[in-house]
Amino acid sequence: MSSGFERLLDSVVRIDVREMNFDDGARRIDASIGSGVILSQDGLILTNAHVAGPKAVEINVTLSNLERVGARLIGWDHWTDLALIRLNLDDVKRRGLAFKHADFGDSDKLYVGQTVFAVGTPHGLTRTVTRGIISNNNRYFEDTEGVDGYETGNFNTWLQTDAAINPGNSGGPLVTDDGKVVGITSRAYLGANNLGFAIPSVTAKRIVAGLVHDGSITRSYTGIVPKALQDLEGFYDVATNTGMLVDSVEAGSPAAYAGLRAGDVILTIEGKKLDGRFPEELPPIQNMIASEPVGTSLAVTYKRGSREESVSLVTARLESRMGEEWVSDTWGVGVRKISRAYARENQLTDDTGVLVIGVQRGFPAEVAGLARGDIITRINDSPVASLEVMRAIDSAYSAKPAPTLLEVQRERRVSLVVLKP
Amino acid sequence: MKTPAFLLAALCLGVCARAADLPSLWAERVKCTVAVEYVTQTELERRPTIAYGTVVDAQGTIILPSAAIDLRISPKQIRDFKVYVPGDPEGTPAEYLGRDALTGWHFVRASAAVRGRLVPVTAFAAPGSPTEVALAQEVWGIGIRNKEEDFTPYILQSHVALVQSLPQRTAISQQEVAGPGLPVFDTAGRFVGLAASSFGQTFLEFSGSDRGGSPVMLVNIEESSAFLVAAEVLPYISRTPKNVFGRPLAWLGAYGLEPMDREVAAFLKLESQSGAVVSEVLEGSPAEKAGLKAHDIILGVDGKPLPRFKPDRVVVDYLDRLIAAHVPGDTMTLTVLRGSSRMDLRAALDEEPRLVREANRNYFERIGFTAREFVYGDAIARHSKTSDLRGVVAHLVKPNSPADIAGLRPDDWIKEIDGAEVKDFDSAQARLTAIEADLQRTETVFLVGRGGDTAVLRIKLR
Repeated sequence: MSSGFERLLDSVVRIDVREMNFDDGARRIDASIGSGVILSQDGLILTNAHVAGPKAVEINVTLSNLERVGARLIGWDHWTDLALIRLNLDDVKRRGLAFKHADFGDSDKLYVGQTVFAVGTPHGLTRTVTRGIISNNNRYFEDTEGVDGYETGNFNTWLQTDAAINPGNSGGPLVTDDGKVVGITSRAYLGANNLGFAIPSVTAKRIVAGLVHDGSITRSYTGIVPKALQDLEGFYDVATNTGMLVDSVEAGSPAAYAGLRAGDVILTIEGKKLDGRFPEELPPIQNMIASEPVGTSLAVTYKRGSREESVSLVTARLESRMGEEWVSDTWGVGVRKISRAYARENQLTDDTGVLVIGVQRGFPAEVAGLARGDIITRINDSPVASLEVMRAIDSAYSAKPAPTLLEVQRERRVSLVVLKP
Repeated sequence: MKTPAFLLAALCLGVCARAADLPSLWAERVKCTVAVEYVTQTELERRPTIAYGTVVDAQGTIILPSAAIDLRISPKQIRDFKVYVPGDPEGTPAEYLGRDALTGWHFVRASAAVRGRLVPVTAFAAPGSPTEVALAQEVWGIGIRNKEEDFTPYILQSHVALVQSLPQRTAISQQEVAGPGLPVFDTAGRFVGLAASSFGQTFLEFSGSDRGGSPVMLVNIEESSAFLVAAEVLPYISRTPKNVFGRPLAWLGAYGLEPMDREVAAFLKLESQSGAVVSEVLEGSPAEKAGLKAHDIILGVDGKPLPRFKPDRVVVDYLDRLIAAHVPGDTMTLTVLRGSSRMDLRAALDEEPRLVREANRNYFERIGFTAREFVYGDAIARHSKTSDLRGVVAHLVKPNSPADIAGLRPDDWIKEIDGAEVKDFDSAQARLTAIEADLQRTETVFLVGRGGDTAVLRIKLR
């Protein structure tokens, strides 16, 4: 065993997370276990976004010497399924604890068939090492609800490995035999034999830098939904390996505003030629666009029918479909703010309202007939433009309970309900 | 006390006479019932269906309950109607006349050959205006066995447990009392009602908190324990539709009516009545022209407040029936509550826009799908402008066909074919026909709308 690998083993940790969920219409604490890898002597630990996210209320890290230390969230990025936490260094110092940190390797240099190891805490079994090879070093995988309901995979491809990856491995490193971190294991196909996926270290390094700096990753949004051109070059009369097909343009997006349409083939962005022939080639293009500062004007040339045209579009800030969540303890209802992306996806008129994600039995919301999936658009005379509107009404109600009229939308049907003390 | 002998004799006579009469009452009344068979012929299958009906006049007109024929199916796809006299395995051809929007009944006419063996149910109606069945009253009705048993008729008997307004006066009996769509009689043989179909599914939503939910329950589809009372049947039996689509159809265009529940009524100080919230007002509809707005609460029609029903939801059917009782051109005055102000709006009802079941359609075998005309309701369902009905809808996608493999899904909105916009059904039909006729062709490319998004689909033909 190389000294690098030994050192790596000492930098892998178990992460116990307790997170707050509101989807019962009450505060509920859920516990889960994941893995992580220490990146620096100042206690930064890289893990998955689906292990440690903003819902976490308590994070405990078990070091390789089995000592337990608290940690807090520095930032997360569900699009790449990465999160950064930091050890409580005061506690580490006070207790005189020691740990090692790992170094990144270059995932771009991996070859298919190369031996790799997954290190982590599958099912809570601390310090488990499994061995496999790189099965594919450029796997395309997107999931609109892949990270606790958040989107993932649009801006990166994945490493695929047959090293055994089980629940609890999440967030642990995928390493080469010299102990260099080339990936962060993230997911596996359930019921399949060793089809595991990891975020490549080239992506992880970039995200870590961003999270350390800002606590979040800001991306540009255009509203272009691409599709691989594969086999359609003849139909659109473009040379092979040229252009990216627009499958859909999201309503109200910068691309829609610029006049782009489904069926257009984008040839260049800012003079850079695009090649979106295969699905694997789409995330890097998406990432290139997303990496532009928000508000950048992009020069786009595209082919529509037989004509080549150009347009400039101004990017907006990328937002998730998942809005902020909150629970009203008085009414027994858990809600999530309607985001613009959610409103667009569900063809709502606008982003007014909160989505009911859970109701508690016997509480005013349930008694009045509210149910998961309802959208509360108005309370008494106030449109629910933000969670603050609801919080304010809720605290007024707590202080002096009185019948309250809610306007509720379910599918496309609007009804009225009264919450009573 | 001694009971006079003559009284005892009379009592005995009464009971005995009634008991003795039932078989003869039965023998006459069974002649107003039939089984009706028809075939639903779609692109991929031919499916027979059996329903039960009641004869309503001397011309052999038969009414079937609303659920007997799926409303989503085009009348052009239902054919080969046959009428069977109970107990006789030989059917005779019949004609489908259409569905009446107010009652929901489908009308079928038996051929002349069998009319002599039928007796209209009106022959058993009580003289004058019918009196409603009373609680605990004994009633009996007719059931019909399935085709394998030669549609053998049988008797069902029960007592009235409850009479409710749903919104039609509906009697609920202790047990099943007749086959759905078949008549119910009192002990003297007078017609007292028509058994409702799928009672459990349609009406047993008493759960106050479960808005719009469809609880799973066991439903006896061959027998029913609920019937519309005679007064809800006899005045409507002459509503034979003028055509298979049941046109003219009165249309208001207030979409997604939701009942105002009791708590809300109390909050708005409207305890004595009910109301319905308008979810959306459809583009170009009479409701829009009358000035109705989304989220208005309809409180009354033509000066009359909407009555309270149990459960609250029934008020929606009540309103729908008020509209359906009209013809296009009639006016209705709606009393609505908007915020805190009350107002009267006069709406001139219009003819309902072309429905999905009336839409043109054509099956394209080589591509493997049915293209259907894009109608008003399709635009509503897709949050799209109704003033500009373009494109066609993929109505059916044949499993494992080129269209299916390319990812075409039922209800996809085909907006472009091979890069050219689809203007209307006829142009789509011409283009698709040409594509299928060209045997050298290797592919066709559709641009489809799905939800708010679009997708480019390449359909490989060879």
